[in-house]
Amino acid sequence: MSIVARLPRRTLSLTEEEEAAPPTMELTGRRRMTAEERGTAATIFQEFRADRRHREFVVGCLNCGECTTGCPAARFYDFSPREMLQIAQNGDATTLWDAMQEKIWACCQCYTCNMRCRFGNDIAGIISVMRELSVSHGLESTRRTLAPFGRSLTLLMTVGTQVASDMIQPDFFRDWGPFATGSDKVWQVSAEVMRKAIPSDVLQTTRSSWEVSVQTSLELFRIYEETGVLDMLRGLDPDLTEMLIDIIEERREEFVEARERFQDQLAGQTGPVTTFSG
Amino acid sequence: MLSANEIRKVVAERTAHQKGTGKRVVDVREEMERLEERGELVIHRIRPENRPVEASTLFGWTKRIPTDRLWHHKSCGQCGNIPGYPSSLLWLMNETGRSYLNEPHQTSCTAWNYHGTATSNPVALAAVAARNFHRAYETGHFPLIHCGTSFGDYKEMRKLLVENTEVRHKVREVLRKMDRDLVLPEEIVHYSEWVHAMTPEILARQRYPVKGIIATVHEPCHYYKMVPEDAVYDDAIYAGQRPAVPSGILMALGATVADYSTWYDCCGFGFRHILSEREFSRSFANLRKIRPMVEEAHADVAITSDTGCVTTLDKSQWIGKAHGLSYLLPVLADVQFAALALGAHPYKIAQVHWHSSSTEGLLTKMGIDWRTAKEEFQEYLRALKAGATPELLHPAHGEIETFFAVNKGQVLPEASGPAPTSASASAPAAVPAVGGPAK
Repeated sequence: MSIVARLPRRTLSLTEEEEAAPPTMELTGRRRMTAEERGTAATIFQEFRADRRHREFVVGCLNCGECTTGCPAARFYDFSPREMLQIAQNGDATTLWDAMQEKIWACCQCYTCNMRCRFGNDIAGIISVMRELSVSHGLESTRRTLAPFGRSLTLLMTVGTQVASDMIQPDFFRDWGPFATGSDKVWQVSAEVMRKAIPSDVLQTTRSSWEVSVQTSLELFRIYEETGVLDMLRGLDPDLTEMLIDIIEERREEFVEARERFQDQLAGQTGPVTTFSG
Repeated sequence: MLSANEIRKVVAERTAHQKGTGKRVVDVREEMERLEERGELVIHRIRPENRPVEASTLFGWTKRIPTDRLWHHKSCGQCGNIPGYPSSLLWLMNETGRSYLNEPHQTSCTAWNYHGTATSNPVALAAVAARNFHRAYETGHFPLIHCGTSFGDYKEMRKLLVENTEVRHKVREVLRKMDRDLVLPEEIVHYSEWVHAMTPEILARQRYPVKGIIATVHEPCHYYKMVPEDAVYDDAIYAGQRPAVPSGILMALGATVADYSTWYDCCGFGFRHILSEREFSRSFANLRKIRPMVEEAHADVAITSDTGCVTTLDKSQWIGKAHGLSYLLPVLADVQFAALALGAHPYKIAQVHWHSSSTEGLLTKMGIDWRTAKEEFQEYLRALKAGATPELLHPAHGEIETFFAVNKGQVLPEASGPAPTSASASAPAAVPAVGGPAK
């Protein structure tokens, strides 16, 4: 007789109390879902299954495990792309909710699992769908996970790049060593002078990856407004969202003022440069 | 790990298996032609003035690589913390007489953020891609994608925009609000493919032999694991079993490209991890990539062709000393290595001082006098500090471009004769409206 068969029935099933309030696992420990969480989990499950990508990305599973054996995250985390795929394919609202608390954020998005999959599942893609839902529903665990990304998200939303040289501060990136930041401590010049030594004018900024024109950043923000990204972010961090709107409003004013200032030079131009109003 | 031949077989089986469901693996370029005929998009075609070179992709499809009149789609990570990456590419283009635009009118693909935090969605990603594509098109320059993730994302977004009518219509609606419309490039081209296509011209200018250099290649995941059919393979490189880039240029320059057991592993970047869970990134990079490269292949340098990979493999090593992993293997992008082999200044152009793992031992082995170069650079820094004008690889942009994406010379109709040789010399012409494609 196998070990499992000898175990008392109690350990293999839920009590009536547990069935009424299904347990959920987080890496920090086992706790019960609240009624509100159960409602959110049910809504997320419905949205997940209704997403057209679910039909396209989840094809089937042979249980071969090729995805997990090649997975970098599986080597260091309690994470398995096979488990994620099977939750996507056969899971219920609770198992999906559980996966969305922490495990989905272990994925490196390297797409190694996709390339190894005989079935052609898009496992990295379906994990992204789960992540999107966790953001748009403003899950508390997602807020915690993404808390360090305020500056990065600000750059992304306002100029469309995700890193700036002044983000890579030696004190925050100590593990990168003394040279990795083009550090002024090593070269005895300021960070601004180090950037001036890059032989392209658009790269000579410390505030963004490159200088982004005001028109370009306003067009980008229009995309975020029109495609629901701003609303997603509002669900995650309403204060950050309001700050971004203020920043963009200032850039719009700057743009309108510049249009008057450069009206002679713009007179011979055609296309979006003359028609885009901000 | 599947070999490329096995992948080809798997995809062939998948193609046959899914024929009935309409989800076959197809060449998206054919469908683009049909959509252009219906007026749903304009194809940004590679033209003779782009001086294309043909290459072969995973399934043997032909991919045309434009080598001239290019629009640099920069990488946020490269420009932010490894700026010698884009400056080496611009320098190589100057050396080989190629024209280009390097503009402030570009956003990143925003896919680092998407893969890291998911605060976006496919319609937004597709609209961002399409805005950049349209900007390249209206300047008359073909987009060249610097970042592996941008390359992967744009391959995905092009497929999505072609295959999904709802997304396509929504994106067109958004683009029209900024007086733009849907333009898709005939090819999505990664800069390493440009290097591959330019190999003969690069070799003709080689100054330092690199025969004694052992290089290990990290193949960027998003180059070949996302939309695999668009990656370049060459039967002469790994017998067509691995992507031809960036290994091809290293072999051509004379370096020994050495194999190691974990070549297929990712670098550990993880998008989110490199910023907020670096203990994972540095553990993975050191244990799964750098250690095998050094202990199995005895590498002098690790070469890769993507933003996150250079960052992770290079910058994760210094802390390895805390665990007795004192490898400090130099990590460079293929273009930095190629530029150095052609005589580019190690500090002013290749900007090796931004790298965490010292490259000076490698430079010595290549025969490059880095000490003199370093003194020159320190003198240059002192001059900049005193207010000297920076040396630039291309003309500086005027103040108007701080605000406006001004026109640089538009795409001309197919039958309009030779194109202008420089952006500034070309007269603006109307961009063909979607619905009346340029034919």
